[in-house]
Amino acid sequence: MIGTEAKRALRSMMLIRAFEETLAKRPDHGFQLLSSGEEAVAVGLCAALGPDDQLLTGGRSIGPALARGCDPSRVMAELLGRSTGTNRGKGGRGHLADPASGFFGSHAVVGGNINVAAGVALSMQMSRTSGIVAVLFGDGAFGAGALHEILNISTAWKLPLLFVCNNNQLSVSTPRATALAPRNLSDIGLAFGIPSKTIDGMDVDTVSEAAHEAVAWVRSGKGPAFLECISYRFASHSTTARETRSRAELAEIRSRCPIVKLTGQLKATGGLDDAAEADLKREVAEVVMAAIAFSDRSEYPNPAEALTDVW
Amino acid sequence: MFFREAIARAMREEMRKDERVFILGQDVGAFGGSYREFDGLFGEFGAERVRDTPVAEAAMVGVGVGAAAAGHRPVVSITYMDFMMLGFDPLINYGAKLRYKTGGQLRAPVVVKTTAGAKGQGVAHSQCIESWLMSVPGLKVVAPSTPADAYGLLKAALREDGPVVYVDHKRLFPVAGEVPLADSIVPIGKANILRGGSDLTITTHSYMTRIALEAAKSLEADGISAEVIDLRSLAPLDMDAIGASVGKTRALLTLEEGQVTSGVGIEVIGRVHELLGLVPAVRVGALPAPVSSNPVLEQACLPDASRVVTAARKLLSQKRD
Repeated sequence: MIGTEAKRALRSMMLIRAFEETLAKRPDHGFQLLSSGEEAVAVGLCAALGPDDQLLTGGRSIGPALARGCDPSRVMAELLGRSTGTNRGKGGRGHLADPASGFFGSHAVVGGNINVAAGVALSMQMSRTSGIVAVLFGDGAFGAGALHEILNISTAWKLPLLFVCNNNQLSVSTPRATALAPRNLSDIGLAFGIPSKTIDGMDVDTVSEAAHEAVAWVRSGKGPAFLECISYRFASHSTTARETRSRAELAEIRSRCPIVKLTGQLKATGGLDDAAEADLKREVAEVVMAAIAFSDRSEYPNPAEALTDVW
Repeated sequence: MFFREAIARAMREEMRKDERVFILGQDVGAFGGSYREFDGLFGEFGAERVRDTPVAEAAMVGVGVGAAAAGHRPVVSITYMDFMMLGFDPLINYGAKLRYKTGGQLRAPVVVKTTAGAKGQGVAHSQCIESWLMSVPGLKVVAPSTPADAYGLLKAALREDGPVVYVDHKRLFPVAGEVPLADSIVPIGKANILRGGSDLTITTHSYMTRIALEAAKSLEADGISAEVIDLRSLAPLDMDAIGASVGKTRALLTLEEGQVTSGVGIEVIGRVHELLGLVPAVRVGALPAPVSSNPVLEQACLPDASRVVTAARKLLSQKRD
């Protein structure tokens, strides 16, 4: 990842971070599921997806939605319950959807979207389109039957489906080591003979390179591929959930920030100076402020909308 | 035409007309379905559109709702309704809510086609759990009792824009009956009056329509006139037809093969009472016990005509009080 591409990735990660930091200060529409710390996974993956591809995710979906190019104002409005939101304010956290932008949607049943993603991939395969489907899920979903059933069925049918496990080490409070048996989560792909890798999810360049390789494989019609991205969630499970890690542990985790890392790399190679960094920061802050302003001047849904789009 | 042939014909016509329609399920391909209800489709449409799956109901329903959300119109065949429980998550948490939760951006036009009812297959292959699904907003539920309704309801289900659970009864597949020659549908939400009557209304569906008609015949010999309504559509219920009938007879007997607790019948009774005020009503269904594969126990558990007749007489005595 070099030049403008790297700068675009940096901007995208900065936008996610700024967006979530601002949203976290707005408890007026309930708790939120933040992905701060995991920006490199979302941005690196989306760098490899094309306009005809679709991304499906679990509930922790703000980063992936923004990285995929969804309008930050409409995402913010959705998360704050306004009818100008992506889902008219009806989906809310965990259910963002904007298929026109290639973000088919998030689904807050852990593992649930893995099933759905295979169906979208089957539909694309049967329609003979060149698009592929990427499904992003956490280590929490790894233990669910959906993954195991869909790995089997998608390999047997050579579906254009990329599995991306964002292993952020925790499912709410349960550590990955307590809940999941394999040494590396990507080992599961070996049983199905599909290309599988465990990579550093805190490095956007690493994620992007692995995602490009995996997407190329999937797009070639050879069937699914599996990526495990090792990442760290900076915040607790949700904005209202207890933090279970020690301060020392959190400080160590935050020292691995993917934004700080890429900024440092770019500055070291002359791709970014302090002024350009400040410009980027100001730019994303403006986008976020505009998103908040857009949401605040938007209406909540009319109560009568409780009965629309049901049947 | 046999019931199973009516299903195959409905599928064939819809698959010829709309290339988005396809079938996925266990043993649906060259085998033609467990009840041969998909006979001939594999030969005409091939393995891509008549697609055998592994034994993984959650994945099957999940793939179905996902493909539907992406623009196809799949039929997911779940051999036994008992196994639909494994697919409830994608069907109920995703499919039924998709249109609502995406603010109208996506819909899931999927038909989950399954079989309910007892035919000697035991405790985990005999259940009728239609009523579990009737309370899910966004989900329609239909259950035909004749070849004509199987043909018409399946075609209607395939043209819906949201998920439909289509329930056959295992004992109905060998049944023969007239099916319209012309391409037609039976609209979802319309009940069918199988027999006119004036003393009581019997509402029922699927295979139990036969038991209801048998009971009505016995009652007739005693000078009691029973109107028999085949609900056909459980969600939505045709309250116009049911209300008009009970408004006339002022007595309601509900009959189902499943459990009466939180069953189809209690929903019908509750809505009739909301519509007409209190009228005498009684529920007939299976005993509150699992359905054994032992023929003696299976028969003991399921409702038969004599139980319906007994309940009807008791109901009429309440009506007179």
